[in-house]
Amino acid sequence: MVGKKSLGLMIMLAVLVYAVAAGAAGFPERNLQGIIMWGAGGGTDGVSRAITPNVEPILGKEIVMVNKPGGTGAIATQFVHSSASDGYTLLFGAENPQLYGVLELSKLSYNDFYPVNILARGQVVIIANNDTPWKSLKELVADAQKRPGKIKMGSTGPGGVPYVVGMLMKTVTGFDVAPVPFDGDGPGITALLGGHVDFIPVNLGAASEHIRAGRVRPLAVVDSKELVGNGYTVPPITQDFPEFGKYVPWGPFFGVWCKNDVPDEAKKVLVEAFKKGAATDRFKDFVASKEAVLMNISGDEADKYLKKWQSVTTWLLQDAGATKVSPADLGIPRP
Amino acid sequence: MTGSAISYFFMAWTDMSLLFLTAIGTFAGIYIGAIPGLSVTMAVSILISFTFSWDVNAALALMVGVFCGGVYGGSRSAILLNIPGAPASIATSFDGFPLAQRGEAGQAIGISTIVSGIGGFLGIIVLAVAAPTVAEFALKFAPRDYLLLALMGLLLVGSLSGESMAKGVFAGALGVTLGMVGMDPMTAEGRFTFGYVSLLGGIHFVVAMIGLFGVSEALFQLHSINLKPVKQDVSKIVPSWKVILKYLPISLRCSLIGVIIGALPGTGGDIASLMAYDHAKRTVKNPSRPFGQGAYEGLIAPESANNAAVGGAYIPMLTLGIPGDAVTAVFIGALYIHGLKPGPMMMIDTPYMFWFMVGNLVLANTFMVLFGLTGIKIFARLVEVKKGILIPCIIVLSIVGTYAINNSMTDVYWMLCFGVCGYLLKMFGYQVAPIILGIILGPLMDQSYRRAIMSTEHNFGLFLLDLVKNPLTCVLTIVVLFMIISNTRLWPKLLGMFSSTKRS
Repeated sequence: MVGKKSLGLMIMLAVLVYAVAAGAAGFPERNLQGIIMWGAGGGTDGVSRAITPNVEPILGKEIVMVNKPGGTGAIATQFVHSSASDGYTLLFGAENPQLYGVLELSKLSYNDFYPVNILARGQVVIIANNDTPWKSLKELVADAQKRPGKIKMGSTGPGGVPYVVGMLMKTVTGFDVAPVPFDGDGPGITALLGGHVDFIPVNLGAASEHIRAGRVRPLAVVDSKELVGNGYTVPPITQDFPEFGKYVPWGPFFGVWCKNDVPDEAKKVLVEAFKKGAATDRFKDFVASKEAVLMNISGDEADKYLKKWQSVTTWLLQDAGATKVSPADLGIPRP
Repeated sequence: MTGSAISYFFMAWTDMSLLFLTAIGTFAGIYIGAIPGLSVTMAVSILISFTFSWDVNAALALMVGVFCGGVYGGSRSAILLNIPGAPASIATSFDGFPLAQRGEAGQAIGISTIVSGIGGFLGIIVLAVAAPTVAEFALKFAPRDYLLLALMGLLLVGSLSGESMAKGVFAGALGVTLGMVGMDPMTAEGRFTFGYVSLLGGIHFVVAMIGLFGVSEALFQLHSINLKPVKQDVSKIVPSWKVILKYLPISLRCSLIGVIIGALPGTGGDIASLMAYDHAKRTVKNPSRPFGQGAYEGLIAPESANNAAVGGAYIPMLTLGIPGDAVTAVFIGALYIHGLKPGPMMMIDTPYMFWFMVGNLVLANTFMVLFGLTGIKIFARLVEVKKGILIPCIIVLSIVGTYAINNSMTDVYWMLCFGVCGYLLKMFGYQVAPIILGIILGPLMDQSYRRAIMSTEHNFGLFLLDLVKNPLTCVLTIVVLFMIISNTRLWPKLLGMFSSTKRS
């Protein structure tokens, strides 16, 4: 009896030891799943699909990519959060979850996830239709104050890049323009080119070729440094309005997350793989062609960046009166 | 310069591997397109990762093939099973399926293949000779013009109502309401979500389409499960020149509609084919049979238009770097990954890419017609399969296809619910097509109207003035008004008044 029992115990122990050893050495044992929070063809989709082929050879497994758009990414975020905490389901996303709380879209934010890698951040430029008279942001703001509500600004729904920068401009300059929301950067620029809106703040990646072709006029970059592009320069937003200084550089970011309670071994493997993948020339070239800034940060450094971004942006929206829940109620400190 | 353009145009033709990849892509595309739920958008985005390490030309050759084949492939399942394989072939099922029920599935596929080819080539010709002009024209469309286009599409409810206009209007309104479910993209407010995060994404219209067409049709056919399937006549599947020439004018007109709607950044093949169907129904005085009962004109119109929309969608992509539809949005991403910069400078920096893609499209279109015309006999026999076997297969296919859209079980539940509701609606004489029309066009109408009114500082008077002030908008407004008035009792009286004043 005793013999049988101890044999059973030994087998169990052996299985356990094996399992632990395998868990430590073997991640990943099977293919991973990557959930992209925006639809095919968008900015997040592009970055996600550009990084994975560089990471797969390092992991030795494939990452099967799935688009799960909807609710500005809230559905994908929820999905990854309710999946198993084994590190096999990754969230490929943009900055949006940091605003879910104040916009009352979801209770989740990146605080509930572990940043495997923040790959890149985008730069934002304010561009105007060529038929408008403004040569600088100052002239635009002066004109807007002269005829309030008459100038049309291309925007997006709450939380989008043009929306947030529009709010930022409103907070700092106090101008009054008519925002017309479109589905994103692409449709917004299309409306600008057609003259259906007068100006729009957008991702540089979406606008740079139009600036280079001279089809739109850049007024300012949302940064404290001048933007030197391919054959053009754009003055910093702080040149005309130094008050923007405490908010800039502001822009969207893209990255990869896993659940907070994924085993540390798996986190380590993922972090290393994405760190190497993001350092490949192929990915660097991709980021450069999108006019974005390579970040390639993870762990605490990424956490700090995320917290700062959330604090700056949520309080900015709060001050502009665009939130449903105050960031103070969510425990987000004022910057 | 011209020499290199020609050499790039024929590059995919002369390079064996590119030729082969285009062929493979087109062949695969036809089957991806035929399976509802498996979309071309999805296939092309998977191909981005798959072709990551390839040469850009090879990657594009494969993707272009899938695009062309996929748009065409959707008609197969629409004709044979009454399940549109893609939203762009919804209108195809209106007359395509009745044709199959009459035993003319082979002929229907044959003629739809030929007109798809005609549409495709017309789209490419417009792309090659007038891309910059058409792109500038497309930019002129303001939110108010999209509103008018959506209205024009919605007026199609009148033609699709079946026995009762009131029931058609009800179905259309139901569709518009369903289209509103989910997060309002302008205010980030949940509409009809009842607090569920899974409803924030809204109801994908393909989900509704598969349920309302596929499952409800399968359930409906249970009534006649013991009826012997119609014997298919597969003797004359490739249409004769005489037939092609007879339908050429309508095919060309609808192709033109397809190119323009395809080139508009806010609309794609689905709306193009519906508008083309509507156009055919209004302009063809003596169709081969009444529309909705197997009129060839009703099959030709949407099939010409949706393939012409492919060339149309390329126009803003290649000239401005703006996607013309969902698939070209993914193409733009692929071009970036391969180190190209789609945008207004692409035609200047890398003009050869333009000619390579045009040449590749021509090749893919040729393969599409070739592959389309082979194997029709086997496909047509699909309709002859015993219903006891066919119906479960349709339901399984519908579930798998629905799950594949967003990998979501919520979608599958919605789809099944749509199937049962669609069946009940059919039992009581309601048509399901207006519901889909509402789901597709409702959000476009809603958002365009709100954009238009926001552009006029919420001033309704100014908005009405806008509708007649701009020449393009004015034309569209007149068309919409004509479409409405010409269907009322007022119209004959007006005509009478006009002719009597002329006489006096």
